[in-house]
Amino acid sequence: MTFAVELNNIRKEYPGVVANNDVSLFVEQGEIHGLIGENGAGKSTIMNILYGMAKPDSGVIKILGEEKEIQSPHQAIQFGIGMVHQHFMLMPNLSVLQNIILGRTPTKNFLIDEKSARKEISEIMSAYDLNVDLDAKIEEISVGQKQRVEIVKALYRQVKILIMDEPTAVLTPSETDKLMEVMQRLKEKGCTIIFITHKLREVMHVTDRITVMQKGIVTGRLDTKDATIPELSRMMVGREVDLKMEMGSFAPGEKVLEVSHLSANSHQGLPAVRDVSFDVRQGEIVGIAGIEGNGQTELIEAISGMIRSTHGEIMLSGKKIDRLSVRKRREYGMAHIPEDRLKFGVSKECTIMDNLILNRYYQKPFCAYGVMDHEKLSNFSEELCQNFHIKTPDASCMVKTLSGGNMQKVVFAREVEIDGDLLIAAQPTRGVDIGAIEYIHKKIIGLRDSGKAVLLVSAELDEIMSLSDRILVMYEGEIVAEFSRNEASQREIGEYMMGAKRQDRRKIS
Amino acid sequence: MTNWINAKAIKASSFIVIKQIALILAALLFATIFLKASQFEAWAIVNGIKTSLTTDLAGTIRWATPLILAGLAISITFKAQVFNLGVDGQLYMGAAAATVVALALPNQNGVLSLTLVFVAAMIAGAVFALIPALLKVYFDTNEVVSTLLLNFIALLYMEYLVTGPLRDPDASTNLNASQALPENTWLPRLDYFEPSAANVGIYIAIAMAILISFVYYRTKLGYEIKLVGSNPRMATYGGMMPKRTTIKVMAISGALAGIIGAIEVTAIQHKLLAGFNPGYGFDGIVVSLLANNNPVGVIFSGLFFGSLKNAGINMERFTDVPSAVTEVVMAIIILTISAEILMPKIIKRIKISKKNKAHRQEVSQND
Repeated sequence: MTFAVELNNIRKEYPGVVANNDVSLFVEQGEIHGLIGENGAGKSTIMNILYGMAKPDSGVIKILGEEKEIQSPHQAIQFGIGMVHQHFMLMPNLSVLQNIILGRTPTKNFLIDEKSARKEISEIMSAYDLNVDLDAKIEEISVGQKQRVEIVKALYRQVKILIMDEPTAVLTPSETDKLMEVMQRLKEKGCTIIFITHKLREVMHVTDRITVMQKGIVTGRLDTKDATIPELSRMMVGREVDLKMEMGSFAPGEKVLEVSHLSANSHQGLPAVRDVSFDVRQGEIVGIAGIEGNGQTELIEAISGMIRSTHGEIMLSGKKIDRLSVRKRREYGMAHIPEDRLKFGVSKECTIMDNLILNRYYQKPFCAYGVMDHEKLSNFSEELCQNFHIKTPDASCMVKTLSGGNMQKVVFAREVEIDGDLLIAAQPTRGVDIGAIEYIHKKIIGLRDSGKAVLLVSAELDEIMSLSDRILVMYEGEIVAEFSRNEASQREIGEYMMGAKRQDRRKIS
Repeated sequence: MTNWINAKAIKASSFIVIKQIALILAALLFATIFLKASQFEAWAIVNGIKTSLTTDLAGTIRWATPLILAGLAISITFKAQVFNLGVDGQLYMGAAAATVVALALPNQNGVLSLTLVFVAAMIAGAVFALIPALLKVYFDTNEVVSTLLLNFIALLYMEYLVTGPLRDPDASTNLNASQALPENTWLPRLDYFEPSAANVGIYIAIAMAILISFVYYRTKLGYEIKLVGSNPRMATYGGMMPKRTTIKVMAISGALAGIIGAIEVTAIQHKLLAGFNPGYGFDGIVVSLLANNNPVGVIFSGLFFGSLKNAGINMERFTDVPSAVTEVVMAIIILTISAEILMPKIIKRIKISKKNKAHRQEVSQND
């Protein structure tokens, strides 16, 4: 039989790394094919090759049995391959219709024939039950709808093979369910889907067959009905991974962080955090759930002192800190893992040591009279590299030589080692591999069990739910719900995240 | 062994040194070809540099002193990702302050007077550099523009001083200059090189290079400069104040520029002379670039550009090659050095196109 897509022995080398080493991928017609692997396993590279955005060093690509050379995305579309990118490729200030016909615009007498386009798109939408308001502007519609627009755009270009690059990363649980339904319908109508993800539950739920990649090679090829989650994660990581965490019993102590009626503005000067009150106690992990862009970033920046709050009070261990500098707040016992590692967490052009000493370079015993003691600093950094399993020859290497997971470990080591009373962890596992996730989760739980207060912000609801003792849900800058552990299901929390529901303003404990 | 000076670092820096020497040789080769093609004496520039490094070492030292200091003033700002194109203006201010203080001081112990003169010059330079620094910090003014424009203000202010308030009333000619400074405020010249203008300023320059190097690699301030220069957002997140660092760096840069002014006045001219500065500020950029912004490297690249400048003057004196040609040679060297930034990109391009070509051939053979 002929495969819809057949990639034979693809090899792609980037300076210093072999991104794809002899990778073969066979996708049958009309199936949903899961492509899974950790970050850096080479999933994106192989898909970029298929979509004409990168050229393989060697190997053969066959589309529907015919050997093809794909030079550009434009050509890929001609061959019937479409791609829904993780970051949407849409024009925010154009309408949905205009976005869809961009690239394949029907004309009549040199004018855009919106009428026939509208008719054709409506037919596609009703056939696949993918309804979006065609006249709405992209900036007005939700993330889930934007994704639908991307899918309709691909279908409008008459693609038969659809690559979806981590489509669920930006969705809430209910939106994810809807996407799964859409994928099933596409399959029924004869579409072939390549579904890239690292979420195993989704793969088990929706795919027919699975290809697993690890470090640039294919480590497994199996039918979904024969697969189990532990088996898949072993193939992805190369060993058993235990994401179920042992936790000590919940015994909260004194209040460490108290936030009352806090408001703050975004960098654009718009109100982003509105009258937020909560506290975090010793030996407690408080998780803030919410779709990104609902004020979590500004809340963390206001607490850590990177932006000024406009109203309200912040107390750390009984001291009022809302008008203090970042440094003073840190000296009072605040540690902070920033949400954007590359923007705030590390300086890539500096050495690992320079990055590890950021929060103590000016303190004794590392610095006296403005002069730094390099020997002490370097011993200290080497020790941290060992204790936190940072994979590097020594601490004088540049941070840019590290992988994402190891960079995050550098940030983590720096912030955890100062032994503050409060750890703010914003997206602590974003873009790191499963091994590092396991490690970081264990450490966070260890901090909680040793009596520290942890404020966790994450876009991954799974992470929030498995770690937090209490969960706060943020929507449009406000806290709309509060749950204790296991009080609510993922779906229920998802509804609060979407703003569909809100609890009565309870008195904050 | 501490890890900031390990084998890897030594290997990396020796590679850079070799590369820079190769760049200089390439630049000299281009310059020679240029001279030959323009029908001048082909070896004029090479001979000029030879003389500069042997019989006329004194001249080289005289010119290297301000160039090293200017290179340092630039390099420290480059490290913090700030651009000070106002070294010229700051050194004028330093020179003016040095003159005023030297003329005002009663005849006193030489060392104390000299120290006061230098301190005044450093403060004047630093304060003048603070203007663009504060504008940048408080009003987000682009320092490239503001420092550049302030140069004209400083230049015109100095011309006003030497034609007006500070003009020597006994001047017989129409020379625009101040009174001669009292001898006790003259910076001593080097005995060995008498009667040239080579002076102990070179020691000051080298000491400053070592000091700046220490500050950058070994102190708290240096670490802050490094982080603010490489990732200012991370510096803020870590509790530093990048704005304060910017102000400090500009002040240091301005103070170094002020020292140039003081040396020129107290060791070379012995008076404030209109238009004494041949553009050290901009030469400083090249000096710093050739040294890869390394403060110790600046000593050597400063010496090289000093010898080049000296060679140009000697060429004019002893051959029929006009000194403008030296400027051309300088320009050729600047272009060669900036090619260092350009070359990797060009090479990458070539590699990519080669690879694509090979790929296409391979594919067509398969068909």
